[in-house]
Amino acid sequence: MSWYEQFLVAGTVVPLIGFAFLVFFGHRLGKPLSGWFTVLVMGTSCVLATCVLFSWHGLSPADRAELTAAAVSNQFYWADMGSVPIKIGVKLDSLTVIMFFMVTFIATWIFVFSVGYMAGHSDEIDGQSKYHRFFTYLCMFAFSMLGLVISSNLLFLFIFWELVGLCSYLLIGFYFDKKFASNAAMKAFITNRVGDFGFLFGLMMVFFFLGTLDLDQAAANFRQQYASSTGLFAIGYSIDLFGWQVSGMTLATLMGVGLFCGAMGKSAQFPLHVWLPDAMAGPTPVSALIHAATMVAAGVYLVARIFRLLTPDAQMVVAVIGCITLTMTALIAIVQTDIKKVLAYSTLSQLGYMIFGLGVGAWTAALFHLMTHAFFKAMMFLGSGQVIEGCHHEQEITKMGGLHKKMPVTCWTFFIGVLAIAGTGIPWTGPGIGGFYSKDEILAAALMRTDHWPPEAEHHAKAAPSDEELESGLSYRLASDSPEHGATDTSAGHDSQPKSEQAHGPSELDHAAAHHVDQAALVARATDSEHPTSPLPKWLFWFPIAIAYVTPFYMMRLWWLTFMGKPRDQHVYDHAHESKLMYVPLVALAVGTFFCSYWVFRPLLADAASAATDATMVVAIDGHAHDADHAVGLMLHHDVHRDLVPIVGFAFLIGFGVAWAIYRNGLELATRISSMPGIAFMHRALRERLYIDQVYDFVLVMGCRGFSRLCSVFDAWVVDMVALLCAALVRRIAAFSGWVLDARGVDGVVNGVASLTKYAGNAVRQPQTGRVRNYVLFAAGSAAVVLLLILAGSGAWSAVVGWIGL
Amino acid sequence: MLEIGLNHYLVLAAIIFCAGVFSMVSKRNAIGVLIGVELVLNAVNINFVAFGKYSGGNTSIDAQVIALFVIVLAAAEAAVAVAICTNYYRNLNTIDIDRGDAVSG
Repeated sequence: MSWYEQFLVAGTVVPLIGFAFLVFFGHRLGKPLSGWFTVLVMGTSCVLATCVLFSWHGLSPADRAELTAAAVSNQFYWADMGSVPIKIGVKLDSLTVIMFFMVTFIATWIFVFSVGYMAGHSDEIDGQSKYHRFFTYLCMFAFSMLGLVISSNLLFLFIFWELVGLCSYLLIGFYFDKKFASNAAMKAFITNRVGDFGFLFGLMMVFFFLGTLDLDQAAANFRQQYASSTGLFAIGYSIDLFGWQVSGMTLATLMGVGLFCGAMGKSAQFPLHVWLPDAMAGPTPVSALIHAATMVAAGVYLVARIFRLLTPDAQMVVAVIGCITLTMTALIAIVQTDIKKVLAYSTLSQLGYMIFGLGVGAWTAALFHLMTHAFFKAMMFLGSGQVIEGCHHEQEITKMGGLHKKMPVTCWTFFIGVLAIAGTGIPWTGPGIGGFYSKDEILAAALMRTDHWPPEAEHHAKAAPSDEELESGLSYRLASDSPEHGATDTSAGHDSQPKSEQAHGPSELDHAAAHHVDQAALVARATDSEHPTSPLPKWLFWFPIAIAYVTPFYMMRLWWLTFMGKPRDQHVYDHAHESKLMYVPLVALAVGTFFCSYWVFRPLLADAASAATDATMVVAIDGHAHDADHAVGLMLHHDVHRDLVPIVGFAFLIGFGVAWAIYRNGLELATRISSMPGIAFMHRALRERLYIDQVYDFVLVMGCRGFSRLCSVFDAWVVDMVALLCAALVRRIAAFSGWVLDARGVDGVVNGVASLTKYAGNAVRQPQTGRVRNYVLFAAGSAAVVLLLILAGSGAWSAVVGWIGL
Repeated sequence: MLEIGLNHYLVLAAIIFCAGVFSMVSKRNAIGVLIGVELVLNAVNINFVAFGKYSGGNTSIDAQVIALFVIVLAAAEAAVAVAICTNYYRNLNTIDIDRGDAVSG
């Protein structure tokens, strides 16, 4: 076991120990101390994670690959599931290292913030302080999330997945004495169960068809089965699914979609997104930690991990769900007036971008966006917590305004977050921040998949070398940041970025060559496959582009209404103040936002991508927007990004400008616009969250109630009737047997015997007078009679007479 | 002179027996009844001893032993009977045995 794994495991176990300690001794540590203890625990994890990250970053790709392979051989045998051994192990690759660092770093600062936040919040229910319980849950959450990140096995991933869900439930419902909080907790839990049902279904299919739950092993088996037409893809094999014959590719798609369902629940994708806005009922640090930065990212992380098990159709489902989510929720975010709700919907929208990115094959970009988003969204949520805390628990932005004078640090860190989410940067050259790199890269990939696909078809057609033919025929496999492409580009004399080749090194090239031989076997299948990767529909590109304009608008609206302009509620304004304990984390995360935009993360992710997207069927292309030269894993076709800049390059300026123009003087103009005839209708629909909750209420809740009413009618009329009929019948039978058989027959016999006995007893009783002298007389008389009879019988009578005669 | 034989003893015993029975039947006084019982028992004793003398030979003392047993049992019986009489008197303030039906249901 390399020290990387040891550090990762230690970093995971430390919060568990902290949790155990707090469970038993938390109430003794008391109010500020248990919070600081948690910070210490998380800080330890973070230090370990930082060591791992820095050291890992210093390694060459070949060393990393070696360590990854070593980690696989270090797995512990845990148990057998049927005949399949289940092994516990650490999945050690760049994605794990980065995620681990991201979670621990953000969690540490959020814990610091929590200490400040909880200081000003009531934490007593029925006179019992729940302060330490809050931090106990946070520790548990950190443990589960870190466990999820390092799991090499889908089963363990699922276990930690559920633990994370439990912590989310506990923390959303932290103020469980309030009805809305406990309802929100239940809603989150139940909605997640729906997704987890699909996840379990997918897990079972993986287990059944691929014969393993190990991530790498499953991917290898999947690839092998596809190549050799066995197992899942065996010719003529199909299963009967409710009368629907499912086979081969469809079955694989079902498996992928099933696994994706889990991600839909946890990452709150349409149609399971309804729980996330309600989850804002929890304390704000929880919203920041779980419902913006880390836990909801678990779904994206899962899709990234099972990427190799997806089919083109499943990937299409992922893309479409992501596209729907990002569009719908961004529109809803425009009209929300609760500061946390706006952030919640923007989180949903950004998660939609990530899922969409994975759907169109921008693996690196999607995860890069996950990282940048985690930092700036955690920061913004903490900022909103600061605002809410400072404004006397006021959450309506319509009552705020002008707060930049009262809380400058919060205001400007929040502004950095707004810039980051809007994708601010100088088009073509950079520098930019956050979404400028990550979101635009997703869009670049989407553009490539919709407009320029298959890439360079004419180039492949006229290129003589067989490798190109393979690549072209096998249009599935085009991970431009993977080593193969480095090799392909060189051989074709293509103008590629030199850096990408340097980064991969010669050993990678060997690997690539060997890999091409492997692929030759797949070509025959791929060329006549019924699932060629065709260009995606255009709207999959244009919706995210449109939302790239909407995002800066609603974020600027939020920021402006909160911090700029004139105070709209003097009472709130007077009360506003900033707490040092709470703005230090804001600054730290703002620094982190810059840090993750520029350094370490993007190259490491690109490095991980080559192995993690090594799939036979799905497409992983990785865009790279705006030519920032610090990134490796560059995309092949730079003209795509040049195309992108005029489309989306100035979106942030336009969005900011429109928001500024409307909200510059407060809410009057916005109110007037929203009451215009055509817009009023849309405005109302968006305020009502597009009626999705109502539809769920109507269809599911009312449906349930209607069904139960139907059942109760059935119960009253049919079941009860049968029961009553039976009862009546039984009563008749009972009456007959009671009156006729029992009363007359059985009772008659019994009474008869009794009265007979009574008569006999009375008769026998008559001589029993109780007079002793009568008895004696009777006895003596009887004896005399008996004597006379004996004498007469024996003939002695005459003898007696004769003797008397003497 | 008339030889005293078995029959004489038997007749004597029969007379005593009948006197005892008569006493038991006619007396209302519990003590009188008890005396009657004693008479009956002693009549039987005379029979035992007489039969012993005339049928078992001179050497046999079986009859005398049985008679002794009867005497002992009679003594025990008398003790119990007197105790009953005492209680009877305590409950009913009389020893008239015709009032004994008061204990019947």
